[in-house]
Amino acid sequence: MIKLDDVTKTYSGENVALRSANADITKGEFVFLVGPSGSGKSTMLRLMNKSEEPDSGRIFVAGKDIGKLSSWKVPMLRRNIGSIFQDYKLLPNKTVAENVSFALEVIGRPRSVIKTQVPQICELVGLGDKAEKYPHQLSGGEQQRVSIARAFVNRPLILLADEPTGNLDPQTAIGIMRLLDRINKTGTTVVMATHDAKIVDTMQRRVIQLDTGNIVRDEREATYG
Amino acid sequence: MAIRFDYLAKETGTNLVRNPSLTLAAVLTVAVSLALLGFSLIFREGVGRVSDRWSDDVEFIVWMRPDASDEQISAVDQKLAASPLVADHSYVNRAATFAEFVEYFEEVPEVVQTVEPEQLPTSYRVVPTQTDLSFVDSLGQEYEGQPGVSEVVFAGDFIKQLNAITGLAINGVTIVAAVAAVAALLLMYNTIRTAVFARRREVEVMKLVGATNWFVRIPFMLEGLVQGLIGAGVAVLAMFGVNRMIRDSRAAAELDFVNSFVLQPADLGPISLWLLLAGAAIGAIGSGFAVTRYLDA
Ligand SMILES: Nc1ncnc2c1ncn2[C@@H]1O[C@H](COP(=O)(O)OP(=O)(O)O)[C@@H](O)[C@H]1O
Ligand SMILES: [Mg+2]
Repeated sequence: MIKLDDVTKTYSGENVALRSANADITKGEFVFLVGPSGSGKSTMLRLMNKSEEPDSGRIFVAGKDIGKLSSWKVPMLRRNIGSIFQDYKLLPNKTVAENVSFALEVIGRPRSVIKTQVPQICELVGLGDKAEKYPHQLSGGEQQRVSIARAFVNRPLILLADEPTGNLDPQTAIGIMRLLDRINKTGTTVVMATHDAKIVDTMQRRVIQLDTGNIVRDEREATYG
Repeated sequence: MAIRFDYLAKETGTNLVRNPSLTLAAVLTVAVSLALLGFSLIFREGVGRVSDRWSDDVEFIVWMRPDASDEQISAVDQKLAASPLVADHSYVNRAATFAEFVEYFEEVPEVVQTVEPEQLPTSYRVVPTQTDLSFVDSLGQEYEGQPGVSEVVFAGDFIKQLNAITGLAINGVTIVAAVAAVAALLLMYNTIRTAVFARRREVEVMKLVGATNWFVRIPFMLEGLVQGLIGAGVAVLAMFGVNRMIRDSRAAAELDFVNSFVLQPADLGPISLWLLLAGAAIGAIGSGFAVTRYLDA
């Protein structure tokens, strides 16, 4: 589903964020990217949805070399990749339902689809009764659920999660992990960057460990290490 | 994958009212710049009209002596009629001269009372075939020594000055208008960039979920277009207002010169249309460019 082939990424000349990285993530996998701050986790995720371009190497998504993708096709790639972040990136002036339907509106989905999909997905993430609330009226965990709903409403093949539990207390984080696990069980490939050892140890999934831009470990059913 | 109209209308509407100070800034920016542009266009038209009026006038006047004989007068007439260098000439007899004199000194009837029509000289108003000043000068000289002629008066010197001044004024106004248009575009670009910056998270989310660049851009452009149109509308109203003020002023009633600056509905229509078009274009294009900065990510 996602393949990195000798990928190197440098910021502003000499700051190497990722060095000759190789990885092959298959359909339906759940993969943790672990490592300390600045080790290159976010960079790796941003390369996967073409938010960044590699200096060298190739990146394949669903069998296609995304380096060869013309710029007008990048939106189509992103429609197959949901993204969630530590800071949720919700629009504060829109309600839960509006935040979610916005994601469908801006890719031109018909109104009838939006009308049925949005309540469904709100229900799925456990916010059925909070659809008309604004983000500032919600807890951190609930806001992250909204962002998951927005990322998943389009049923993407891949979900990229950049430290989604970074701002949440352990109890709330477990709830979010359960939700991501359920999404993964529907066949969606999940790649999640984190430096939360407890979560990684509990989930027992594939772990790719980064250290100053190098992949130092790639192990199945592993722990944080 | 067409953009749904209800989505566009909703987004544009809420964005316009969500940040009223920025909307107002954009509208005022366009209004002020386009008003400036409008006024310079009015001024340009006016200056052109003043210049036209004077250029059409007589180029020189051959004044006959009051005691010139009929033969002397008709000799000058024949010479003027025969000359291939004279396009047109007309004789102003005593009665006509007196009428002009009375009109000229309308305010001071005492002066009029001192003059009898018989005392006034008659004259020929001559329009040469060319307006070139040295040509007019040398042609006029030919009549200086003619029997019965008292003097030849040239309008040339005055016209020469007037032309130089109006030429300068038109150039100046054209530059002002061009600068105003560029200023409008830059100010609009900057205002909208601020607006886009305020909504960069929205743009980021749109890109993230796979909106195409045009889908991101079009609501912003539409918003800019609406702001530009409203701004241009304000400018057009201001222009109509000022035009009306000039028209109704005492100066316009008394001075032809000022009256030249009053535009007729026939002129105002096209100028308004151009200003509205310019406002819409400036708004839409400015926003389009402003948002592009946030699109390549
Ligand atoms: N936009 C950027 N410009 C310059 N350097 C960056 C940028 N993003 C990340 N980096 C650098 O690249 C390295 C890897 O960063 P990042 O991928 O964010 O790591 P992580 O997500 O593991 O904390 C760090 O040294 C960071 O300073
Ligand atoms: Mg990071």
